[in-house]
Amino acid sequence: MTLFTKEGCAKCDYIKNKFDLKALGVSIEVLGPENPDALAHLAWHGLVGVAESHMPILVLDDSSYLVDVVPIIRHLNGIVRQSS
Amino acid sequence: MIHSIEEASRFLRFENDPTDMALFVRTSSEDMKGWDRKRIVEALLRETKVDPITAEQISKDVEELVIRSGISMVTAPLVRELVNSKLIERGLEEARRMHTRLGVPLHDVDQLIIHPNRENANVPHGPEATNLTLAERIKKEYALLSVFSQDVADAHMRGDIHIHDLGFVDRPYCSGQSLEYLKKFGLNLPNSLAIAKPAKHPEVLLAHMVKFAAALQSHFAGAIGWDAVNLFFAPYLRGMSSRDIEQLAQMLVFEFSQQAVARGGQAIFTDINLYWEVPSHFEDVPAIGPGGTFTGFTYGDYLPEAQRFVWAIFDILKEGDAMGRPFFFPKPLVHMTERFFTTPGHEDFLAHICEVAGEKGSTYFVFDRGSTAKISECCRLSFRLKENDLRDAKEPWKMRYCAMQNVTLNLPRIAYEAKGDDHRLFSEITRRMELAAKAHTQKRIFIERLLSLGESGPLGLLTMKRDGEPYLRLHRASYLIGMVGLNELVQAHLGQELHESNEALRFGLKVIAHMKLVADRLSQKHNMKFVLEQTPAESTAYRFAKLDLESYDGAALSCVKGNPDCGEVYYTNSTYLNVGAPINPIDRVRLEGLFHPIIEAGALTHIWLGETRPSKDSLANFVVKVFRWTQNDQIAFSPEFTTCLECGRTYRGLRVCCPRCGSPNIEGMTRITGYFSKISGWNKGKLGELKDRHRNGKLL
Repeated sequence: MTLFTKEGCAKCDYIKNKFDLKALGVSIEVLGPENPDALAHLAWHGLVGVAESHMPILVLDDSSYLVDVVPIIRHLNGIVRQSS
Repeated sequence: MIHSIEEASRFLRFENDPTDMALFVRTSSEDMKGWDRKRIVEALLRETKVDPITAEQISKDVEELVIRSGISMVTAPLVRELVNSKLIERGLEEARRMHTRLGVPLHDVDQLIIHPNRENANVPHGPEATNLTLAERIKKEYALLSVFSQDVADAHMRGDIHIHDLGFVDRPYCSGQSLEYLKKFGLNLPNSLAIAKPAKHPEVLLAHMVKFAAALQSHFAGAIGWDAVNLFFAPYLRGMSSRDIEQLAQMLVFEFSQQAVARGGQAIFTDINLYWEVPSHFEDVPAIGPGGTFTGFTYGDYLPEAQRFVWAIFDILKEGDAMGRPFFFPKPLVHMTERFFTTPGHEDFLAHICEVAGEKGSTYFVFDRGSTAKISECCRLSFRLKENDLRDAKEPWKMRYCAMQNVTLNLPRIAYEAKGDDHRLFSEITRRMELAAKAHTQKRIFIERLLSLGESGPLGLLTMKRDGEPYLRLHRASYLIGMVGLNELVQAHLGQELHESNEALRFGLKVIAHMKLVADRLSQKHNMKFVLEQTPAESTAYRFAKLDLESYDGAALSCVKGNPDCGEVYYTNSTYLNVGAPINPIDRVRLEGLFHPIIEAGALTHIWLGETRPSKDSLANFVVKVFRWTQNDQIAFSPEFTTCLECGRTYRGLRVCCPRCGSPNIEGMTRITGYFSKISGWNKGKLGELKDRHRNGKLL
């Protein structure tokens, strides 16, 4: 799974602070003016347009995705519950 | 008064005292003047920064040289070159540059008049075309000497970058226009011999549109795009019979197909943006109708008329011209928004435009997903309407946009120079984009200088202020950075082409992502809107390939496409996958579409049909899939045709002779980059690409 975030995004920071994303198997991509890898990765998933109006974005292992805080938190909480 | 060359010759003798010298000079103003070295001094003082003493000395040196040489005929160009040689001898390179004469060798003019120029497949061979070519050559030289700095000019000449339309350096590039301007203000142009009030009838509005387009074409190097044409005509169509609407549609299509008036005798490069639905940003906008007055309705109220008109336009396109050939212009771009799929009748309309796409290849499908709104102009250039643009939609006559210039990067060359080093590759891309930005700022300064001369200046039409604002809204201009050969860059850098592995494709995405971020940084730095565009690269892909084969033969030979033995070489256009790769069309659309969201100024994927004729239903199904399942901005289906010039029949596919009468006097046509043209006018690179194209028709 990949969590796309961007600099200055309060919702992105909230999720990063709330979960141990690495332990959950979530890698973080930070979109920013100096990070073409992150933008390319976002484009690979076909989510450039989505990112213009919704951040953060969580891309799941099957390449589906969740946007906005509530669905992402719900999903990650589910993973936490499963692993505990 | 000298009346003939023979008479003049009798006077050409040399005396020791140059003041008595009866030497005549054939001047550039088509007369013969007596030798006077003071003219050399005057020219040097006027045109360069040489001091008077040096100017005097040079003039004496040249005079002495002329006398000593015993030249029997002196021309002004010869004198100028002799002066230039003296400037070089004195190390006055800058003065020599300023004193340069621009022109074309006699031999080249002779060849140009006789043989067609294949740089632009749109230009028919003839006197106007020759005028265009000659004028372009001079303006190109002027641009490279006087508009752009030496480092920029040298980069262009070497082939590191390509500055498009140098021969039109005194114009912006492409544009997006609004019929509302004509509807509101009438046809009122600077230097016009007659002014027309706003049209009261649709035929007159069409006449205004055609004339205005011709005037605009002489002020823009590239395409003239018109927004929401069927919608803006709609208030004039209320109450019209179907027959009359069909007639109007026919007039529109034929007028824009046959107006061979622009730029060397070409048709006006016209894009008409069309909608089945009413775009949300126009729905509540008060409609302008006959006489330029508000009708009391909004554009949302004119949906039926707009739909009848767009349907009729496609009826005409489906029929083709008198020989059944597709119309090259106007290019119909059908925008599909989310609203399209909830607008009644959309399925029938989609089938109709897909039938035209399959029959004639005319239709361009533009996908405005989500809240995106776009105006398309040129074969792929589009403007994404931002918030301030959508505010302008309330006064739609203000929706005028332009791209000032396009500068394209030679991507494969960067890979050859980087030799597999990622850091070097990306650093060099950045450096060349900075050079492209420099070229853009220099072009902008030049255009601003021309615009500052107002309505009596060379760009007077673009400065007119019928709505209180200059017609050319410079603050909304875009500055395009294009690319050629991403496929070959990846091939050279990783050893695989874009379609050959996920790793290759993802690396290609990284390159374009990098370019996008650099463009954003440059935009902030220069306060100019730099955006990436998929360069159409009609001749640039060929030019770059040829130059690289000369300079990087080892590396380039393994990457350049086509056939080097016969010179039909090219690089894969912009961010395309290899045109010859046997890729399923939906995969091609999907994979190429991954790049489109980061190429802000527009992109297009071609589906080459060859001679097959897929059903309208299969094409409609395909189009819906593209909208729903991909990020692709725009697609076009491209069949191929052969017309027999003896019996006048037109057939699918490219043939060597007429299947009916057997005549070899045939003409092939298909889409070259983003428009249809006759193959006989194509350059060698495009001919090579044509041979390689993977035709997908059977898979549809």
